[in-house]
Parts: sequence; C-alpha cells; structure tokens
Amino acid sequence: MRKRTILLGIAAVAIAGFAVAAGVFFGLFQSSVVAKDVATPLTADEMKRLAPRGAYIATVADCYACHTAKGGAPWAGGMPFQTPFGTLYATNISPDKEFGIGNWTRADFHRAMQDGIGKTGANLYPAMPYTSYRQMSSEDVDAIFAYLMTREPMRVENRKNELAFPFSIRRSLAFWNLINLHGGGFVPDDKRSAVWNRGRYIVDALAHCGECHTPRNLMQGMKAADYLKGAVIEGVEAPDITKEGLTRMGFQPLTLAQFMKSGVSALGSMTNQMFEVVHFSTQYMRDEDLTAMSAYLFDLDSMPATSPAPPAPAPVDVPAQVATAARATYDNLCAGCHGANGQGIPHVAVPLLTNVSLRIASARNLVHAVLHGIPAQRFPGLERMEPMPGFADLLDDHAIADLANWMRARWGGQQPNLTAQDIAKLR
Amino acid sequence: MTIETKPFSLSINGQKAGPFEVPQGMMMLDFLHEYLNLTGARMGCGQGICHACTVIVENKDGSLREMRTCITGAHWFADKQVRTIEGHAKHDANGKLVALSPVQQAFIEHFAFQCGYCTPGFVTGATVFLEQLRREPVSRAKLDEAIIAALDKHICRCTGYVRYLEAVRDVALKTPGLVVG
Repeated sequence: MRKRTILLGIAAVAIAGFAVAAGVFFGLFQSSVVAKDVATPLTADEMKRLAPRGAYIATVADCYACHTAKGGAPWAGGMPFQTPFGTLYATNISPDKEFGIGNWTRADFHRAMQDGIGKTGANLYPAMPYTSYRQMSSEDVDAIFAYLMTREPMRVENRKNELAFPFSIRRSLAFWNLINLHGGGFVPDDKRSAVWNRGRYIVDALAHCGECHTPRNLMQGMKAADYLKGAVIEGVEAPDITKEGLTRMGFQPLTLAQFMKSGVSALGSMTNQMFEVVHFSTQYMRDEDLTAMSAYLFDLDSMPATSPAPPAPAPVDVPAQVATAARATYDNLCAGCHGANGQGIPHVAVPLLTNVSLRIASARNLVHAVLHGIPAQRFPGLERMEPMPGFADLLDDHAIADLANWMRARWGGQQPNLTAQDIAKLR
Repeated sequence: MTIETKPFSLSINGQKAGPFEVPQGMMMLDFLHEYLNLTGARMGCGQGICHACTVIVENKDGSLREMRTCITGAHWFADKQVRTIEGHAKHDANGKLVALSPVQQAFIEHFAFQCGYCTPGFVTGATVFLEQLRREPVSRAKLDEAIIAALDKHICRCTGYVRYLEAVRDVALKTPGLVVG
C-alpha cells in the first residue's frame, strides 16, 4: 500500500512537471509588456509625423548595423552572429511584403521588439536585444516602426540559421525567456536628475549596451549581478564600463562622451564591434544624449565642466630578461608606427603609453591586436587610423607574452603574469 | 643624449655583411640607405602603407617573405637572408649585368611603370608571389585574382596597375609549373 502511494506520488509530480514544461513550451508563462492600444493601427499622418523621430531612435538603437550584411542590401538582414549554439543571421526588416516586415502590423512590431515574438508567433532568438528593447517606450517603438516603413523594400530572402539541436527549436526559447527575460518598461528614478535618467534609458533600452558589456550566464542570459562589468564577445573583450571600470581605463565623463562621438582618443581607437557602433550609431547621436549616457555611466546627475585626465598608472617592474626581449621586439616591430616611447603618430597609429588596452585587467584585446592586427579605420571628421598588421606568424608565443607583459607593466600598471600558454590559447 | 647601439650581422643579396653597430630602433630602410648604400628600396609613406620599401627575407625552407623596411627595425633582420632590389638581376664576377630577373624583364617589356618609384616594391612583391605559385600553383582561371590579391597592397600613384598585372601574368604563364589547367 505504501509502495503504491509513493509510486502514485512520483507519477503525480511527473505529470505536473510535464504539464508545467508544456505550458512554458507553448508560451503560457510568457509575460508581455506590449501596450494594449497597439492593436489600433497608426494613421498615415501619425506614421509620417513619427518617421523622422524614428530615424534617430533607430540610429541610437543601431538597428542598421545588425540588419545589414557587409556589402548587402540595406535593412535586408543577413549579418551573421556567432553564438556558442551556432550561427544566427539577422533578418530582413525592410518593408518588403514577402521577406521583410511589409505585412507586419503595429502590434506585430511591438511584440517582436519588446516580447521577442515574431509575426508568426514564433520566438525570436535573443541576439535580437528584445531583453533590452523591452524597456523602450511605446512611442519610441512606434517611431522606429514608422521609420522602417519609409525605407525601400528589399527583396532579399532571409538566411536560415545554423543552430545545433535543441537550440534550433524556437519554442525552447520560452524556457530561456522564463529565466532571462525580466521586468517591464522603463521606470525613471525620481530621485535622480533628468540627465541621469535619460542616460540610463539610452544605455539600458535604446543603445542596449549591456548586451555586449554585461557578462552572460551559461544560458547566455545577462547576469544582472555583474551589470556592465565586461564580457568576451567573438574573441575580444567588451570592457567593464561601470564607473570603476571606466576610471581604471583612464576615462573621464567628458572624454568618454567625446570618444563615443569620434571613435578615437588618446586612450586608443574603437575596434571590432564597437568600431561599427561608432560608425553607424554613436557618431550621429546628439551631444546631449552622449553626455547623458556618460553621466549615467559615471553615476552623475550633471556633467562636470571639465574632466582632467586621471594620472597614468604607476609602472610595474618586469624581469630584466623579459624587458630586454620585449624592448627589442617593440623597437623592431612596433616603434615604427607607435613611436619609440609609445607616443603614436597622429592620424596614423594610436599612442600606446595612454592606451586603454594596456590598462584593463585582461590582456585579451592587446594580444588579439598583436596577433591579428586591426584593419584601416575611418572615423568621423575625416580622422583615420592606418591598418595594423597582425604578427601571428612573425612572433612566437614567448615573444608575444614578453611583449605584452612589458607593455602592460610599463604603460598599464599591470602585473607581468602572462605566459606563453596564455598566448597559445588566444591564438 | 646617448644613442644605444647594438651589433648585428646579416646576409644581404647573398653576401655576409657585418657586424654593424646600429642604433636600437633604427628602421631597416635607413640602415640600407645609410650603412650599405643600397638605395633601391624607397621611402614612400613611412607608415607601412605604400610598400615601396619592401625587401625579401629568404626563409630557411626556401620560401620568401616580403618585409616593409620603413616600419621594421634593422635589428629584426639580424642573421637573416635579405634580398633587396639590387639583388634580383644576375651579375658576373666583375659586377657586370648579365641578365635581369624574369620579373624585371617582363616589367620592361610591358612598360609596367611610369615614374618608377614604386617599381622596386612591385618587383619584390611579384617575385614573392611567383615563388609562392611554384609551391602552390593556381588555375588559369584564378590567376588574375591571385595576382591582384598578392599585389593589392602595393600602391602605384601613376596607377600603372594594369600593366603590372599583365607583366606578372605573362611571367606566370611562361614559367612551367606555376599555372595548372
């Protein structure tokens, strides 16, 4: 009798568990932040009025960069995203009726942007930052929708994602959302200034900074406890952009705002994905929005009138043998462009003696640049940096470890603790 | 101010040279010009962009590598086998010119230069490319694409690229084993 009760109990728990899992799978527990009134379509006049604002919001949200493949048709998708689960391709968001969003309603668009649910009811993959856009105001979502509908339709078919099972099942994202999709719309903090709140809205909602700069958990959801503390994306580090992290890198509120506007500074140049962000987004942002972002990231209620550069980190000693080997490598392969004393050449090569990549705790970005180089980059205002060659085939792991240790200790105040094995892992 | 120097030796155009006492941080181009009077490698941009300053480093396995001398320190070339533009043509024991290299000859036949400033770099680049073809031949259909990929980084301000391409194509097609199919 007792055995039977236990078995029945186990069966009941199993059935309940299955029912809950099925409920999650079919979206019963999916919460929505989409406003009820979006069922009413926008009038033609409203669409026309909202479109110019949408152009700006879409720029701040950097929609174009992800939804346009390199050399591809504008807004037609195709940009690949390497994830630990496989490759995802951005979709066509031009107003093409067959392949794009030409047949989408206002409500469809809101659900995609804020709940991560596409027109057919299928889940979107969270490479589309709906976890951040969830905080976007309903008016801003409307504005982007109105703007996208003014773009030229592009008849470009969407590429099929290349994902491993079970990630290829879109429904499985219902479980992901249950764990990783939190909160409702943006709620201003009435104890803080309008500038701070505007900055937080841009950082968290529109510009979705946390998507790259916040570390992710095993399921690739953002770890709320490590908000903006830096993460590795496609082999390079999106650094810690908390107030502490920014200060350690040598930023001050005004220099950070200027860096986002121009992409270059004495602290280095934007590279990798952040270069694209400057190229398509931040350079076009209004000055007041850039300073608001900077104020929020530095946790300030108003921007200071001046921002003196913080002192350079104190150099750290390195063993003489390492210094000798590294100095020879530096003189032979780096000094031609970066200067004998790391001073750089204006409009050609960034200075190293004040460079962020030498100050951050991880040597990943420095080693990545040494191994693979950096392509030529055009920045706003006719500024340009010449290409940096990669040295993966000229320098062995020991030589790179010595070089990185010496430069980081000399100019970044970092302990020379990199080994050849560390470099081998980063190759 | 004292200038720190360090000795080094190298092989240059088949001849052992050195040891030379050379300032640490002196660029190879300055060393070639000032210490060896080998002025064929040109100072163009001084930033590693135009490739007019390239020389060949001959690896132990016989493969060749282009190196830009305006941004590479002289000491990097210590104990290496270096070939400059002066080392391409054949000379007899008295120093008399016997024959140009196939690349140099083809450049003349195709008038593949105008002002000639970039030509030493193109000779270097084309020579390295043809040596690479010897190891990894390409199909006729892929030849032009391969030439462009190899020489793309060399800049010619007179825009003589088509003639350079035609000259290199000519050598590749006439030399047995470089192009297949």
